[in-house]
Amino acid sequence: MTSREGFVPAINSSAAAGGFSNHKTYGVKYICASCAATFTLGKSESIRCKECGHRVIYKARTKRMVQFEAR
Amino acid sequence: MSADNQEKSHEKMDIDSNNPAQDEEVAVEEEEEDDQDVEKIKILPGASEDGTAASFQIIEEDHTLGNALKSMIMKNPEVEFCGYSIPHPSEPKLHLRIQTYGNITAVEALHKGLDDLASLCTVVEEKFSQSVASNNYKTVIS
Amino acid sequence: MTKPENIVGIEYNRVTNVSAHDIPGYKLGEDYAWSLEKFEESFQINIQHLTEKEANFDLVNIDTSVANAFRRIMIAEVPSVAPETIFIFNNTSVISDEVLSHRIGLIPLKVDPDLLTWVDSNVEEDEGKFTDENTIVMSLNVSCTRNPDAPKDSQDPNELYRNSNVYSKDLKFEPQGRQLEMFKGNPVEPVFPNILLAKLRPGQEISLTAHCVLGTGSDHAKFSPVATASYRLMPVIQILKDVEGEDAKKFQKCFTPGVIGIDDDGKAFVKDARKDTVSREVLRHDEFKGKVKLGRDRSQFIFNVESVSAMSPEEIFFKSVRILKNKAEYLRNCPIGQV
Repeated sequence: MTSREGFVPAINSSAAAGGFSNHKTYGVKYICASCAATFTLGKSESIRCKECGHRVIYKARTKRMVQFEAR
Repeated sequence: MSADNQEKSHEKMDIDSNNPAQDEEVAVEEEEEDDQDVEKIKILPGASEDGTAASFQIIEEDHTLGNALKSMIMKNPEVEFCGYSIPHPSEPKLHLRIQTYGNITAVEALHKGLDDLASLCTVVEEKFSQSVASNNYKTVIS
Repeated sequence: MTKPENIVGIEYNRVTNVSAHDIPGYKLGEDYAWSLEKFEESFQINIQHLTEKEANFDLVNIDTSVANAFRRIMIAEVPSVAPETIFIFNNTSVISDEVLSHRIGLIPLKVDPDLLTWVDSNVEEDEGKFTDENTIVMSLNVSCTRNPDAPKDSQDPNELYRNSNVYSKDLKFEPQGRQLEMFKGNPVEPVFPNILLAKLRPGQEISLTAHCVLGTGSDHAKFSPVATASYRLMPVIQILKDVEGEDAKKFQKCFTPGVIGIDDDGKAFVKDARKDTVSREVLRHDEFKGKVKLGRDRSQFIFNVESVSAMSPEEIFFKSVRILKNKAEYLRNCPIGQV
């Protein structure tokens, strides 16, 4: 329920140690609503999917680690 | 107050005594007594002069100990009255009243009740381990 | 075997003789004072069956309040280990973070609680609150992908996707420090490997770490080591007048199968009162009025303990007896102050 302050890079040491391929790469920012393609958008780029041109996009989940009490 | 509770809960959870943090905790705590829990049990005002009738307040206990202790104290022929109550369910307090016929004090009756309860538990433990060791029971549910 | 003063009478619309009166002074001439020798002589424990997960045993001639104390302690005060803090690095599944955390918290773990110490709540997290002595670290990393070898026209998600179901067996133990030695050969795993935690579809991923600590059932139900621990009183069926022939068959049907037997003369007799669930069905029928008396024996407790943790049920009962003893001894040695 509390999230860490400041930028924390996507360090998941246990995943990395397990040789798990992390699908996230640095800078992934948006997901298209229709074709589910992931892409980044810079400043003042129009809001369109890079692949299919659909104009509804979602922001990808934060890289920050979130902590919860299992209650 | 939370510091007090922490120390108490550490002392209570005595089942496995491999808690090295406990000794440090006690030194850090600003308790006047060394390792005695002065909050646990207190006499409430209104006890009789000669101590044959008294009410006790025990914290962090509930019906689990209260009912068992009350029944052990009632089995003492010197005890005229014994009852317990939990004044409010939101507070972890237990009130225990003991009145004796005059030959022993209420505190003595309480101590005897506690000792009897402990020896009852010892007997239960022994008999249970005997039963488990004797092996004349089914180990598969038919 | 059963003294009449110990039988709670069960009639069709009421119960009788409910309270125990075994206190000194209740009856002239009877000596009910506490005597450890008398208790040791009369008290018995008879184990009916004892498996790894379940135990059924009788406690005979013990006070109700003490039997109840054992039951309450087994449920609420025997410590056990469960996930407490979940650190989620990535969760793109449809199960939200807090729901997933709640589900993981409820997974019972196969770790002996005696191996861990209590977490000191006064220490801050960055000051070393979680050490290798008081915390077990488990991690869960699952990613769902499409299965290229799936048969055509298949609708079954198990065939179409890889890792579409996240089970409790996917929780992996991460030994820290001393734990590498302590848990060599028997790593920490969930008691039940096939608890479904979440369902995934291709592209979704769960990546988290769980810190598991000691706790008691009184704090949160996930720490309770028993599915449940309960007791019932031994049923008593007294056949006052003979029930024969067709009536005997009807009589037998009124009880749970196996309770009433019919002997060679066609008369009904009580075969095994223990199996009875005391449904009082027989009291509904006029033809059996006055022929049977139902009751329960107040001095015989049939305990049923179902363990859902690393401890076996007899270990849980042992611990509960010891905890009650520790409570009594601790209170005995406390100084009595003034309010």
